[in-house]
Amino acid sequence: MSQPAPSQSVGPLYRSESQKPTATVSTKLEHDNVHILPQTPQLIALLTMIRDKETNRADFIFYSNRIIRLLVEEGLNHLPVVSQTVATPVPGEKYAGVRFEGKICGVSIMRAGESMEQGLRDCCRSVRIGKILIQRDEETSQPKLFYDKLPEDISERWCLLLDPMLATGGSALMAVEVLIKRGVPEDHILFLNLIASPEGAVNFAQRFPKVRVVTAFVDRGLNEKNYIVPGLGDFGDRFYTM
Amino acid sequence: MAPTDRCDYSPPWGNASIIGVAGSSGSGKTSLALAIVAAMNLPWVVILSMDSFYKVLTPEQSAAAFRSEFDFDSPDAIDFDKLVDVLRELKKGKVAEVPIYSFEKHARLDKTISIYSPHVLILEGIFALHDERVLDLLDLKIFAEADGDLCLSRRLLRDIRERGRDIEGCIKQWFDFVKPNFHRYVGPQRELADLIIPRGIENKVAIGMVSDRVEKILAHKSKLHQVELRRLGEVASDSPLLPNAIVIPQTNQVLGMNTLLIDPATSKEDYIFYFDRMVTLLVEKAIDFLHFQPKQIKTPQEYVYMGLKKSGEVSAVVILRGGSAFETGLRRSIPDCRTGRVLIQTDDKTGEPELHYRALPANLSKDGLVLLLDPQMSSGASALMAVRVLVDHGVPEERIVFVTYMAGKIGVNRLLSVFPEIKVVIGRMGDDMESRWVETRYLGC
Repeated sequence: MSQPAPSQSVGPLYRSESQKPTATVSTKLEHDNVHILPQTPQLIALLTMIRDKETNRADFIFYSNRIIRLLVEEGLNHLPVVSQTVATPVPGEKYAGVRFEGKICGVSIMRAGESMEQGLRDCCRSVRIGKILIQRDEETSQPKLFYDKLPEDISERWCLLLDPMLATGGSALMAVEVLIKRGVPEDHILFLNLIASPEGAVNFAQRFPKVRVVTAFVDRGLNEKNYIVPGLGDFGDRFYTM
Repeated sequence: MAPTDRCDYSPPWGNASIIGVAGSSGSGKTSLALAIVAAMNLPWVVILSMDSFYKVLTPEQSAAAFRSEFDFDSPDAIDFDKLVDVLRELKKGKVAEVPIYSFEKHARLDKTISIYSPHVLILEGIFALHDERVLDLLDLKIFAEADGDLCLSRRLLRDIRERGRDIEGCIKQWFDFVKPNFHRYVGPQRELADLIIPRGIENKVAIGMVSDRVEKILAHKSKLHQVELRRLGEVASDSPLLPNAIVIPQTNQVLGMNTLLIDPATSKEDYIFYFDRMVTLLVEKAIDFLHFQPKQIKTPQEYVYMGLKKSGEVSAVVILRGGSAFETGLRRSIPDCRTGRVLIQTDDKTGEPELHYRALPANLSKDGLVLLLDPQMSSGASALMAVRVLVDHGVPEERIVFVTYMAGKIGVNRLLSVFPEIKVVIGRMGDDMESRWVETRYLGC
């Protein structure tokens, strides 16, 4: 736990300080490939819901999905677009717009990453989704790749890598290696994440400086068991089985 | 914008015209009022019966009433104070709660009927022209004239069929109360009337005259309202977009979605998909205006987190029909959002919005935030009316967020110059007089 948690009053500019409640916000990081969602009161309230141990599973799923949708929207903004002028419903009028460029796919790190697929589909209806299973080897306590199933043409796609929790970053880094081995350019990988530890995020940024990390919140740090502090417990358990 | 710069907006139901119809019991006042309303066939001409305003009886009076010994036909039986309150509220364009009187129980029920936004109100009752304060509020005073024997026979039929009385009681009441009261109080109102109408609904000429008059009043109100809207438009066109109008950041994804939504070549399936996605972004932006308070929680590993919780509920009011295109996106963020509905239609010829229907959740005013949903705002006229409806139902301006996909600058400024404390969340700025294609494409007709 390297640094104390930053705390500040949150709210829109037009509100006076007294109208802005104080809350713990994301730790700031210097690396420009780590993108942290704007710390709005709404986002903090959503995170409060999913961190709270009293929150039941239905609410946990619902409120995580709301944050995940915001993450996906932010992540997609890093994809390229090209200019496109279209006709409008007003006869004779033109609109100078843009067209989404490039094919995408989702890759979820099993099992917790699969919880983010619905949010991805809410924004990209027919997106292909690959899977990667990485488990910690009991003997070496190092992450080990057990299984992957990815689109054939993945090297031509932008990859949205999904994992809600980034602790030490062991499995996420391994997943990125898998993608790069399949020919995905490093700068075509976006890692979407709900809560990161500063250690994990920094690890990531240094190891793969071209991979963009989009996260809702960077927490205070890791404990002796490498759990994120304060974190929210085991995301997969809370989403799928608890 | 400082509060002093606030412009006034008077809705078409402001300064409601009130027509009083008095006459003996059984003289056909109700039928006459109904015939006038039927001749108009408009939802904003409303009948208010003075029967709703009988005073609450004491236990002794109530016992007398059940013995048919209570004088319901004296002005003393009417709660004129309550009536005047209701008329004044309606004259101001506010919501009025009208009591419900049960003739079977001789008591006021706990429920009330709320009347809102009539442009013309017809007040009918034997003492419609009796109280000075009521007379001051009336724009037209009518006295319905009928023969005494006709009145008695009508009254007998009605009281026995509809009000559960027996014939002896009715006849006793007529000679003990109705007839003497007529001579003492009801008849003299003739002197105060502008118009005396004999023969009730058979008098087609008189009904025609009154409905012509009502039509003229409505046309005049409509003209005033259009002038009002134009005046507000002039105020709005000069200024830059006011600060309480928030256009969501035009990121690449938003621009890409705009392009797909604008392009007539986009398939209906894609249009609906991207519109729902856009609405979710708009709703997430709008509910940022909710207030929050600190909340400390513990994670499953017993770590403490200093977070926030919302300090009120969000409810929504859909402006029909277009607003219904927002409901799928809305429910992604707030699945159990309490949702009211108002139907506001714009008259094709005049461009004037008309409030046809409203069904609002109870206690709307207590919610933390009320989202008003309409996919497109051009002149802002229907938006003005919708916000006015919420304000009249007690929702504070600063808790209203108008959410729209596409808006023109003049419309937004017009709305914000009248209601400077509301917020407007906009997906994309468009032209000021664009046709309403957004909902047409979503709903497919």
